[in-house]
Amino acid sequence: MRESCKETLQRAYLFLDGEILSENERADIQVHLEECSPCLARYGLEEELVTVIARLRHAAPCPNALKTRIASLLEQA
Amino acid sequence: MAEITPVELSPEDKRRFHEEAIPLLDSLYAAALRMTRNPADAEDLVQETMLRAYRAFDRFEAGTNLKAWLFRILTNAYINVYRKKQREPQKVSSEEVEDFDLYQELKNHDPEFTRSPETIVLDSLVDSDITDALDELPEQFRLAVVLSDIEDFSYAEMAEIMEVPLGTVMSRLHRGRKALQKRLWELARDRGIGPAAHSKASIDGMSSDGERR
Repeated sequence: MRESCKETLQRAYLFLDGEILSENERADIQVHLEECSPCLARYGLEEELVTVIARLRHAAPCPNALKTRIASLLEQA
Repeated sequence: MAEITPVELSPEDKRRFHEEAIPLLDSLYAAALRMTRNPADAEDLVQETMLRAYRAFDRFEAGTNLKAWLFRILTNAYINVYRKKQREPQKVSSEEVEDFDLYQELKNHDPEFTRSPETIVLDSLVDSDITDALDELPEQFRLAVVLSDIEDFSYAEMAEIMEVPLGTVMSRLHRGRKALQKRLWELARDRGIGPAAHSKASIDGMSSDGERR
């Protein structure tokens, strides 16, 4: 992978994670991704992975028995 | 462990704790489950966290980030109490992870990309594959991925929760994701994905399943 690709992807992953980038930085990333299909694919793979992991948010809610137990422990505390 | 000491919270603090902290139990439990990797320990950890938080709540600065504060208590409780009794998963070699490039693996596998790269691996996986792969990550990587991708914390919040510099947060997160990609790719490949593997997909799928389960 070219150095410029590595650097752009690192910035792009910051963008993916919702970190704040300047308008210029965002524009540079966009231009690079439009012109470089391997980088676009790599970005897509990272984005997809993050989406798939985010599904686990709702995979196992806190058991109701635990919620009840904690509430009653706090009452006694 | 969860000994109860009397707490003198003002009625106002008590009300706020119930209103603001209790709704975060689902988030805390989801993270605790991935930290401890088993439901019984996750329940104990969440309970311990809530009791510690309740006792310390008069020191929580109103208006600051309650979720990040609770997760710092959760992370500390995990490190101090549960980590000691848990077996660390096998170390993922750093260099091996660093050099892994899923795009290149997919291209080698199917040079024409007859399907879009994103769908080739991830479409064949179910939630339990993701949790299994996550559970196999070394703890520091796992924690970074959980805080970022399940709990949606910013890098700065994660740095505070994990008590490490921002650069460390970023490196752990990205190595963690890369290690996950590698693990999930191996899983999908062993099951037989993509056109190149179609003919022997069922055989591979059976043998790898047999070994895993």
